[in-house]
Amino acid sequence: MDNEDSITKLLRLKRYEQPPEEYFQNFLAEFQTRQRSEVIHRPLIHIAWDRFSSLFVMPPIPRLAMASSVLAAVFTAAFILNWSDDAEPSSLTLTSSGAVQLDSKNQITPSKVGSTVHYVLPASPVSYASARSF
Amino acid sequence: MEKPETPDEELVRRTQAGEAQAFDELILRFSPRLYGLVYHMTSSHEDTNDLLQDIFSKAYRSIKGFQGKSSFYTWMHTIAVNMTINFLKKRNRRKTMSLDDVDSGILNNQDFIEATSTADPSREANLSELQKRLNESMLKLSHDHRAVVTMFDIQGMPHAEISKVLKISEGTVRSRLFYAHRQLQNYLQEFIDK
Repeated sequence: MDNEDSITKLLRLKRYEQPPEEYFQNFLAEFQTRQRSEVIHRPLIHIAWDRFSSLFVMPPIPRLAMASSVLAAVFTAAFILNWSDDAEPSSLTLTSSGAVQLDSKNQITPSKVGSTVHYVLPASPVSYASARSF
Repeated sequence: MEKPETPDEELVRRTQAGEAQAFDELILRFSPRLYGLVYHMTSSHEDTNDLLQDIFSKAYRSIKGFQGKSSFYTWMHTIAVNMTINFLKKRNRRKTMSLDDVDSGILNNQDFIEATSTADPSREANLSELQKRLNESMLKLSHDHRAVVTMFDIQGMPHAEISKVLKISEGTVRSRLFYAHRQLQNYLQEFIDK
């Protein structure tokens, strides 16, 4: 007989090393008890993580729908924030000297425009100047 | 008339939908086979029981991610083999395996006695000695070789199925088997027919 076959034949004898049938029924009961106790004693962070990760194992269509909704929400939020920034009027302050100043948010930095830019407007408005001054 | 067995895929789908009883059915269906797989790799009933609990726990937690790319049978075997190999690595670091763990119940098993007498009619081999030597020789193999021998020689799985479970080529399965058999021949020489 071929040695290879003899080895296989001998090893197949190990198939009989099985516990009795009742073992598997008890095994199931033990599994259920253990599972219940795991649920009770499981740290909250693990439960939260499982719920979070289960969001990503949904079938492809709802996942796509969820991704589009998230994207739409992000764009809407970005648009609203941007719009409210633009819509806010530049606030002008009247100084004690009668000059009108732009608020700090809308100030132009000197590095950008050089030293010739006037931040303080002349005290007398143009409309009050005499017509003869031309 | 006997009720036809529900297919594994159907039970998996029901488990994924939250029906815990469907998973109980899968446990009853797969535990005898997986018990054999783990036991022949660990040679300890106690370790097998604990490991099998962990294996089914892991499978239950991950079942939502099972997409059916392989069969559920292959998927379960992959989890079982990987977890057992990891366990064996840890156990080797912890202690050297005690060989007192030989199963004494099998020596009264009529099937085993008959099978042994057919396998080895010329010698009145001591069954206990044969079992001890079989376990010893299995434990001398590397974890990878032991996994292949368990699945092929003991459980009778085809090469193609083993290659899917271990995610290696069929050629690698065959070469591991060849090498493992050569080692086993040395250890079990006196029990092999000539």
